[in-house]
Amino acid sequence: MAATGGGDIEELVKQITDHPGVQGLIIVNTEGIPIRHTFQEQSRPLAVQYCALFQSLAMKARTAVVELDNNNDLLFLRVRSKKHEVLVAPDTKYLLIVIQRVGNDDNLPINIKKTP
Amino acid sequence: MAATGGGDIEELVKQITDHPGVQGLIIVNTEGIPIRHTFQEQSRPLAVQYCALFQSLAMKARTAVVELDNNNDLLFLRVRSKKHEVLVAPDTKYLLIVIQRVGNDDNLPVNIKKTP
Repeated sequence: MAATGGGDIEELVKQITDHPGVQGLIIVNTEGIPIRHTFQEQSRPLAVQYCALFQSLAMKARTAVVELDNNNDLLFLRVRSKKHEVLVAPDTKYLLIVIQRVGNDDNLPINIKKTP
Repeated sequence: MAATGGGDIEELVKQITDHPGVQGLIIVNTEGIPIRHTFQEQSRPLAVQYCALFQSLAMKARTAVVELDNNNDLLFLRVRSKKHEVLVAPDTKYLLIVIQRVGNDDNLPVNIKKTP
């Protein structure tokens, strides 16, 4: 996520939010402050809570990955829950959080027939 | 993951390990002990390390999900790293960890053109 100005960020935000099923998007800086989010303004506390919880989770995931192999690094994190799925894309300076609706009604967490 | 005997578990293990790209599988109990794994015997310490790290990560993910919405619950967790992807399926009594090879050479963590 290169900091080349607001235009690129706006294009990225539009690309993601236009995707079917996307319910919310948050961009977090290293201090855990949501610098960009698509939540309603009265839901800002919820956005801040998402930031705190999932930034901490991503840091823990990175720790787990690096501890297993020093040459490895975390690229992406997906947290599937009953109601929605949270996608976390960590970067050096920013963290991107996308909340999307669970597309299928299949509640099984494993669908091994899908091609990875 | 119903505890209906070893046969069902063996069938599940075979189904998953036969899937293309699967590198390893671990079934963990609530005490963090790997009760079943497909690692080489000399790699058992690595399996134990995977158990400890990803069980802790799954518990933290569940905490994050439940904290945001009391009626929600964690179904599945995917941790994508540079070298491989770790899939974690938590259950009440057991935890299933699958390690699979990263299929595509696309290193971008976000591919919004894929249908979720």
